[in-house]
Amino acid sequence: MHVASLYASAIASGALKDVGLTIVSSLIALLLGIAGALARLYGGSVIGGLVYWYVELIRGLPAILQLFIIFFGLTQFGIDLSPVAASVLWLVAYGTGYAVEIFRAGIMEVPTGQREAADALGLSSLKILQKIIVPQAWVGMLPNLTSFLVLQLKNTTLLYLVGYADIMYQARLGADATEQPGILYLMAALAYLVIALVIAVAGLRMERRAALYR
Amino acid sequence: MSNDVVVDIKGLAKHFGDRVVFDNVSLAVHKSEVVAIIGPSGVGKSTLIRCVNHLHPFNAGTIDVLGYHLQGDVAPSKPMLRELRSRVGMVFQTFNLFPHLTVLDNIILGPIEVKRLPRAQVTERAMDLLAMMGLQQRAQMYPKRLSGGEQQRVAICRALAMEPEIMLFDEPTSMLDPELVGEVLEAIRRLAKQGMTMLLVTHEMMFAKDVADTVVVMADHTVAERGPARQVLESPQTERARAFLRRVLNPGLSSDGARRQRGGV
Repeated sequence: MHVASLYASAIASGALKDVGLTIVSSLIALLLGIAGALARLYGGSVIGGLVYWYVELIRGLPAILQLFIIFFGLTQFGIDLSPVAASVLWLVAYGTGYAVEIFRAGIMEVPTGQREAADALGLSSLKILQKIIVPQAWVGMLPNLTSFLVLQLKNTTLLYLVGYADIMYQARLGADATEQPGILYLMAALAYLVIALVIAVAGLRMERRAALYR
Repeated sequence: MSNDVVVDIKGLAKHFGDRVVFDNVSLAVHKSEVVAIIGPSGVGKSTLIRCVNHLHPFNAGTIDVLGYHLQGDVAPSKPMLRELRSRVGMVFQTFNLFPHLTVLDNIILGPIEVKRLPRAQVTERAMDLLAMMGLQQRAQMYPKRLSGGEQQRVAICRALAMEPEIMLFDEPTSMLDPELVGEVLEAIRRLAKQGMTMLLVTHEMMFAKDVADTVVVMADHTVAERGPARQVLESPQTERARAFLRRVLNPGLSSDGARRQRGGV
């Protein structure tokens, strides 16, 4: 178990980087996702169409290809991104594609009677979104949002390929150096699992609180 | 009832694609008048009253509501529509309370967000309304904890909190268990007595006879008959109104009556 103690701090520092990147990129992606979903639903055919094709592009292209296009591909056009910048950019771009669909589904799930009742009171469209639609959509989306965060976390493993020193990067480095891949990848697995569980528990708590009125 | 016409519907037509919902509907509602709209399912009664606050757009004709002018196939301006809606209350068949807000918050949302009234004042009025309905104890609960009858009475409070000049009721009791219908009808009856102008779509014939000044029978995509409630319900003049009332008053024979007997959908 000597190897485990030797690499524990490296894996831990990788874990911190993964968590940080997951949080930052997810927050930005979720904000863009709300905007994208609203644009898709209410933005008319041109703006809505653009969002539609963006989502198709993100969903249709393999994750690793997207990452390589951003990090390696763009260098040919004079855009030379650091590993961190490329990582954030890709995670946000990728996450936004999925977040749009999560928010769109959540908003559509709110019964039309809710909008009608709010309309009948004379509320403005913006107020209806803010006070009626989004709060209810949010609750319906919680399970999907939990999955989304876990997905974003797992996507960070790909970033070792562009030199971002995350858990996977550290485990890979250790496996090469010590020739004990079994132990090191097991440590990496445990680290990911712990973080994923924290996300799952947080998600469940929020669902429970929301279930008060459901 | 006075002579001021507050809702004036003229030559109204509504269709979905090729399907005509109704055509050439005209109806004037006076201040403090209670108008009950009856007729077979699918004849467009609900659609008609939803045109009054433009929840449904319509294809031809005009509606003048409290001086606001709505015209077929013309989108009204949003500020005008919001103003109109803030003065016309609506109660829905399915209650449509906001499930994520407490009973009290359901009621004060409109006055705070639309009329920009101070929360304290609005809360006081909301509690008065709840007390009138015997629901003060429910103020801090979420709607799903309430019975259907209680939810519908809260929905009435929510509409009344805006201090509307006209109330639209879209089959307010058809989703309720039979034993809960009475409490909601009682609330509506009280409102009628206070002189509220009301347009009411209903399947409750006895109630219509009792509370409404005017009954409108819709059939075959238009108004088949309209007149004083008792007269229309007891001695209808047109064959279409007679046919409908025969079916409703002999429930075993019609689908409409059968649904009523089962006590809702």
